Amino acid sequence: MKTKLLTHLLLPLALVALILPGCAKKPAPKPLSSDLSGSTYQAPVTSMPTQDVSGFRQQAVSDGANAGDTVLAAVPVSGLERIMFDYDAFTLSAKAQEILTRNAAYIKANKGLKVVIEGHCDERGSDEYNLSLGERRALAAKAYLVSLGVADSQLTIISYGEELPLDRSRGESGYSQNRRAEFKAVR
Amino acid sequence: MNRYFALLTLLLTLLATPALAQIEIRGPGQQAIPAALTPFLPQEGAPSPQVAAEIEAVLRWDLELSGLFSLIDPKAFLADAARIGLASTQVDFAEWQMLGAEAVIKGAYSVTGDQLVLEARLFDVVSRRLLTGRRYVGKVKDVRQMAHSFADQILLSLTSESGPFSTRIAYISNSSGNKELYLMEVDGHDPVRLTNHRSIVLNPDFSGVGKELLFTSYKAGNPDLYRKEIYSGKEAKLSSRQGLNTGGRYSPSGRELALTLSKDGNSELYLLGTDGSERKRLTNEWGIDVDPSWNPAGDKLAFVSDRQGNPHIFILDLVSGKTNRLTGNSKYNSTPAWSPKGDRIAFSRLEGGSFNIFTIRPDGSDERQLTFGGGNKEHPRWSPDGRFLVYSSDKEGRKAVFIMRADGTGSVRISPPGGDSNHPAWSGTW
Repeated sequence: MKTKLLTHLLLPLALVALILPGCAKKPAPKPLSSDLSGSTYQAPVTSMPTQDVSGFRQQAVSDGANAGDTVLAAVPVSGLERIMFDYDAFTLSAKAQEILTRNAAYIKANKGLKVVIEGHCDERGSDEYNLSLGERRALAAKAYLVSLGVADSQLTIISYGEELPLDRSRGESGYSQNRRAEFKAVR
Repeated sequence: MNRYFALLTLLLTLLATPALAQIEIRGPGQQAIPAALTPFLPQEGAPSPQVAAEIEAVLRWDLELSGLFSLIDPKAFLADAARIGLASTQVDFAEWQMLGAEAVIKGAYSVTGDQLVLEARLFDVVSRRLLTGRRYVGKVKDVRQMAHSFADQILLSLTSESGPFSTRIAYISNSSGNKELYLMEVDGHDPVRLTNHRSIVLNPDFSGVGKELLFTSYKAGNPDLYRKEIYSGKEAKLSSRQGLNTGGRYSPSGRELALTLSKDGNSELYLLGTDGSERKRLTNEWGIDVDPSWNPAGDKLAFVSDRQGNPHIFILDLVSGKTNRLTGNSKYNSTPAWSPKGDRIAFSRLEGGSFNIFTIRPDGSDERQLTFGGGNKEHPRWSPDGRFLVYSSDKEGRKAVFIMRADGTGSVRISPPGGDSNHPAWSGTW
């Protein structure tokens, strides 16, 4: 059965080629069915791209002028503590609410302070889903701070999903460190 | 009479065609065609063992991944393997038949300076015919591309569908210290860094038309959607609405794109025009709606939502506006990818503490698990011919990009060592 595979494909085609030379409207692609020898062989020529590749190799690294505007435009503030979350959850635990109450007092006492709330996740789950989950964590923290009287204008949020873990080890102790919201000052 | 016979033959041909289409990608040994891959020989100019070795290595890797062939050990080769003889009259088919080969790949090259001419042929040993032949003219440094291109040609001539070996895979790697966008060959060779954002670059996707990539980057302090022309290097921000601008996916026609925006305080799916303008809001749910993937017809989107509790995959019919849940009893499903033929959806599922790759029909039937064992396997994407899947896996410790056949066999790591590599995206025909 195996040995007949190729014959199987070709026999009908060969028959058609033999029997239909006049009838076939579309001539069979010449280089493939005719079999010319060595140097006179007229196979389809594929010219390979040569300029493109080196072209974009050079382009690829020409772009590093603004290393400044990266993720770390926010700086930690000593008076603000991070809060932690359960897996795939954005509800605020009693502990988290206690910390948020202290954070709220600090932000209210520093009217000029602009705070960005960063939502983070552990690495389990899809990147996209975790970006949304991180955003929900940040939003939950923000809503709680606002409910405690913090001015909305002092707060912004951003989600980093699973992109900036504190602990890169795999396992619950590491994961639990990474499911968090951080409070940083915007420069 | 003659005409009648011709018609009959035509009919027979048509009847025989399905047999041709039945050559499927399977595990090694099943239905594999015994084939001989002979060393490519110098035709004119000086021999270049390096060029010959590169051609053979590329073809061997591609053909073995295809699962269509069982390659005969070159140690068994006899005199014909050392003769150029590229015409079927010059090939000693009896010799190959004796070795059990049903197909023979032969070729010759000429190196002149930095110029390379490559001739490659596939012969059918049983019928003693040339099945396909190609002549490539280019630079020596493009030798791998030429060989990949011939591997595509081999699959085309045997299955009437080209292979995907001369396409590209984009992925994210942090080997430079930051997550940046990279491009590599299907076998992982020649990785090239495309971005230098020194920030976080995420979740790339190719446009179906044109050599262009979409991705999300924190370069400007917010997860914004960018597009980049690969060869010109030109880059532009496509959507920088407040909050998430992620998971951008061009529609098959290339005229619009689906993505997740959270500008309204919750992640929702939207359609944007290619100029970044808002066309339509697609979801309106309290839950998370992310990771859209188009069907080939461009009238349905598979996506992930936790609107019914856990993350599940849903299908949104863009015409009727109806949404159906695809995945059944399971806790966490993510990153759907609709196959290019439309017949299956690949996704990743968390079960027993780790993610594995599954596929399912769009009607929810015939679910199959493709990967097993330790480590997390995520972000599956199809090759443009639907024969293979590429995905991220951390089973070797650090995250890396793997490739496998669509039935889950033949999995092999392709991303280069160094750093974590993940989130692959497979280009269309290159």
